[in-house]
Amino acid sequence: MFRDSYIILKKELKRLFTDKRTVFFMVGLPLIMLPLLYTVMGKISQSRSADIRSYHGTVFIAPEMQKESPIYEEFISIIDEQMNVTINEIPEAYIPTAKDLITEKDAQLLITFPDNMDVAYEGIKPFDVHIYYNAASDYSSYFYRRTHEAIGSLADTLITLRLESLDIPTEILTPVTANRTISYEEINLAKKGSEVGKAFGVLLPFIIILYLFVSSMQVGIDTVSGEKERGTLAILLVNQVDRASIIIGKLGAVVCAAFASAISSVIGLMIAGKFFLKDLFRSSAEMSDFILSANQIFQLGILLIPVAILLVSLVLICATYARNSKEAAGLVMPLYMVVLIVSIGTSSMGETVPSWMYFAPFINTVVGLKSIFIKASSWGNVLIAAASSLIFAALLIYFMIKMFKSEKILFRI
Amino acid sequence: MIKIHDLKKVFENKKKGSVSYKEALKGISFVCKPGEIFGLLGPNGAGKTTALRCISTLIKPTSGNISVNGFDVLKDERKVRSIIGFLTSDMKLDGFFTPDYMMDYFGRLNKMTPEAIAERKEILIKELHMEEFRYKKIDKLSTGMKQKTSIAISLIHDPDIIIFDEPTNGLDVITAKNVTDFLKKYAKEGKTVLISTHIMSVAEQICDKIGIIIEGLIKELGTLEEIVKSNNTDNLEDVFFRYLEAQDV
Ligand SMILES: Nc1ncnc2c1ncn2[C@@H]1O[C@H](COP(=O)(O)OP(=O)(O)OP(=O)(O)O)[C@@H](O)[C@H]1O
Ligand SMILES: [Mg+2]
Repeated sequence: MFRDSYIILKKELKRLFTDKRTVFFMVGLPLIMLPLLYTVMGKISQSRSADIRSYHGTVFIAPEMQKESPIYEEFISIIDEQMNVTINEIPEAYIPTAKDLITEKDAQLLITFPDNMDVAYEGIKPFDVHIYYNAASDYSSYFYRRTHEAIGSLADTLITLRLESLDIPTEILTPVTANRTISYEEINLAKKGSEVGKAFGVLLPFIIILYLFVSSMQVGIDTVSGEKERGTLAILLVNQVDRASIIIGKLGAVVCAAFASAISSVIGLMIAGKFFLKDLFRSSAEMSDFILSANQIFQLGILLIPVAILLVSLVLICATYARNSKEAAGLVMPLYMVVLIVSIGTSSMGETVPSWMYFAPFINTVVGLKSIFIKASSWGNVLIAAASSLIFAALLIYFMIKMFKSEKILFRI
Repeated sequence: MIKIHDLKKVFENKKKGSVSYKEALKGISFVCKPGEIFGLLGPNGAGKTTALRCISTLIKPTSGNISVNGFDVLKDERKVRSIIGFLTSDMKLDGFFTPDYMMDYFGRLNKMTPEAIAERKEILIKELHMEEFRYKKIDKLSTGMKQKTSIAISLIHDPDIIIFDEPTNGLDVITAKNVTDFLKKYAKEGKTVLISTHIMSVAEQICDKIGIIIEGLIKELGTLEEIVKSNNTDNLEDVFFRYLEAQDV
């Protein structure tokens, strides 16, 4: 029986891997897609923040101040120094117009000071400055944040002045600080690479499962529904090949194709990682830190092969039932959504894993993959996940063999 | 030797909740002996393909018995499949491969040794004149070339029983003659040949026995002379039309 499966597998692989278009879509595309995507995304966000920083904005300040207020002058000098803006002092009557201009994004900020500011300061009473902005505008939001910081610096300056006038050392305000005398590299005690692994722990299981499913969909639907539709399956059925051999041969070929595609997507992500990691971590985290041990690679294989078989069986059972490729795609699509949502949900979950998740098929694989990438995997959980994938795959294959023996399904018109 | 006794086949069609039944074969019986070509002659929708599919184990009879060289199609499915060569027009070949590769492929699936495959391949290629296109992609072949390739593949394991559904459909006269000569030769060698056709001249020219099938029933069974004589005419066409006219009334 396995001899026939092997003959069929070889033929299917030959068909898949000698077709340049298929190879490109399965292996080439994921390999260049992710690096390209990340490079473009990185470039866009870089040029956007550069654009915001270099933008020259318009700020209104009300009411027109008596030039002699020292607080006001200090504030203006901070703004002038730190922000690339034109400051327009306006009378109180002009405030509604200024607000309209901000709403319309023609100006970015309106800052209003209370009338009694200097009196309040002298009397040691806090006073409140109002900053109006437009949260829908990136420029306005940026100037808003910077102005907030400017108010903070203003407060610091005023406190220092106050203390100096009372002859009190400014240190009185900071009895304790954190991590001022030590470097970040010294305080971060994470395992080398586990930080990168954590980010990858969210991304990789999802990417791997996505590509496993997408390529088994592309290839799997064609090798069964496509063949059914084109009439090339019937010729196999009148030969003395066992139905189970046909299914196993085709399943094997689709698993190989799905794997090729998933692996090249991981390589693609690694290449992309080289570019975008630097922006992601403030530390010296390096791609080269993210190296899995032989044991972890072995665990990865033990998890991935069964889950690939499970996903491919899911696709193939739909493809067997469907009359043609279009119908098959319609049947697989909802499954695809479920698989995606479950894998996104599971991989972006917190660190404590509820124990039922180790026993839920498919979910336990995502959990297991993540645990490998953050270097916290256990053999027990990996084996449970692998076994549950295999059991479900076996069930699906059993039903598929039944379907292959049923003329109602194979010869539906 | 193919023995068919009271074969019935009912198709079930489910459409939006309601189920309808189509009785494609209403109890047909005939015997097809080694050394002779048996032709099932009938109009479109008569049930020819259905009958041949039942014999070749692709679909299961609703009732009745079919035995092929003594093996029951229900009990010894795989044994039956190993001794028949089956061809229908709705079985297509994967256009991605060459005839040569496909013959190898099906030879191996039929558990032949590489030497046996090579030997058999040369014989079929010569007999069917496939020399110049054996290494071309099937996609690039003409209808006739594809049909010859299908025939070669269905006979790669040198089966004792040959079951061809409309083997000369869509072929030009020369190619059709090539195919019919080929079938005659195989019958002469002692193989059992069963074909279906809706073309009367094919039945007249190559079939040793003819069964006229209309609406799932065999109306006439015998040699060409027997059928013609018992209907008091001198050609098959008259007999055929008589039944079809009777049908319309
Ligand atoms: N899988 C099926 N499901 C439902 N009905 C079917 C099925 N296959 C065949 N039929 C019906 O059975 C009848 C006989 O069909 P069959 O294909 O055997 O005819 P045929 O003699 O081969 O005709 P043709 O010369 O057109 O090939 C037709 O009415 C057809 O609609
Ligand atoms: Mg037919």
